[in-house]
Amino acid sequence: MRKFLRACLCCVMFSPTLGHAAAFEEDPWLMLEKAGQAAHKLSYKGIFVYQSGHTVGNIQITHMNYPQGEFARVVSLDGAPREVLRQGNEAVIYSPQNEKVMIEKRRVQSSFPALLPGLSDMLKASYQAKLVGQERVGGRDGLVIQLLPRDHLRYGYRFSVDREFGLLLKSVMLNERNEALEQFAFSQLTLMPNTGMDWFHPNVERGKSYVMQPEENVVPNRAEGDGWKINHLPSGFVKIDQVSRVMPGKTVPVNQMIFSDGIASVSLFVETLEKGAVPKTGQLVQGAANIYANVIDGYQLIVVGEVPEAVVKQIGESVSFKK
Amino acid sequence: MKERISALMDDEIDADGADHLFKALKSDAELAGRWSTYHMIGDVMRGEAPLSADFSRKLMAQIDNEPTVLAPRKSSHHAHSFLMTAVASVAAVMFVSWMVLQQQAHSPSGDIAPTVAINSVSPESVNSYVVAHQNTFAGAGIQAAYYVRPVALSENGN
Repeated sequence: MRKFLRACLCCVMFSPTLGHAAAFEEDPWLMLEKAGQAAHKLSYKGIFVYQSGHTVGNIQITHMNYPQGEFARVVSLDGAPREVLRQGNEAVIYSPQNEKVMIEKRRVQSSFPALLPGLSDMLKASYQAKLVGQERVGGRDGLVIQLLPRDHLRYGYRFSVDREFGLLLKSVMLNERNEALEQFAFSQLTLMPNTGMDWFHPNVERGKSYVMQPEENVVPNRAEGDGWKINHLPSGFVKIDQVSRVMPGKTVPVNQMIFSDGIASVSLFVETLEKGAVPKTGQLVQGAANIYANVIDGYQLIVVGEVPEAVVKQIGESVSFKK
Repeated sequence: MKERISALMDDEIDADGADHLFKALKSDAELAGRWSTYHMIGDVMRGEAPLSADFSRKLMAQIDNEPTVLAPRKSSHHAHSFLMTAVASVAAVMFVSWMVLQQQAHSPSGDIAPTVAINSVSPESVNSYVVAHQNTFAGAGIQAAYYVRPVALSENGN
């Protein structure tokens, strides 16, 4: 017994990172839950780097939580000076295009550092959460939590949570070879005292005319399309929404079904193959997304998702139509 | 010596400069065994087919044809060490193959298949779907795609 204890002690002594972190914090799931809440509750300002595939950009974020609600201003620092002003879930996007500034209104859900929606049992069924150590990100001390997929149907994630603020400092999506497919990381972060609102305005190419774009034409669609159904969803994925949306250049609205395992998401688009339209078939990778296209019984299917290739394919191949 | 064999195998030393190595290989059965081990490990690591028996035979023939001045007689000790090396080689190759298989087991999609199959899907043709997907779901922070969307995606091309 004494030997065993000594061995344990040695383990702790020789892995100070793990020993320290484990003694420090609680359940990694709880830490992630808290990080999700911190992103909404705290007022902060910082710059983060976003990388997806070969695309890299620096983004500045100012997020304030006032008694009247959450306000955020997000500005791209590289390339076109795109800006997003957000109040709660309502966002206005300003993007300069030639002589004009296009304005788009959108409903958005959480974005970095508020990446984590409510953590469900569904998520726990598909991933294992582990506190694996600590790292310094953007000058802040973070604890590293890994979400390990329980099967090959989804990617893994590595999160760093600020030790002091509880805020997400870094998020990396990793493929089966442990290569980063997409990542966000603060290079600078400070908490803000609650000041006035004078920061909450766009600063996009003043003097240009602003053009409001029509709102996205998306309506909920509860019906199961034109008699089509999904036979085998990859395990852990459930249908979370179904909408019908008008797409550019299409006369007929496209059906979109959205699937998720709690963190990864897949969209399935189904539309009637219009006369003269070129059928799309095959697979493609874009940034962190895998895309699968197929034509079944005169319908064009397109599957897009931040999941392994096999998963978009499985979803695309499991659609069947009543004849 | 190990390093030199390894370098030769990886073409870091040119064949002309390796004459003495061939000679040394011929004189040392253990080194000869090691040579083939290195070679097989290299092949397996690169995902190539393991060496054919023929290749090894040709190599040994080439080594035998090398003019030798001081070829030591094969003693029973040498035979023994050659056997041990052979066993070690097989074990090493099996280990490496196992590791490669382990890695492949984690990538059901396959490493070898090109990401873009022969198909009619171009990035442009699916732009609007990718954007629609990204606009719909907040998942792992996809919204950030707004801010650093590649040029191709910012247009409403379809």
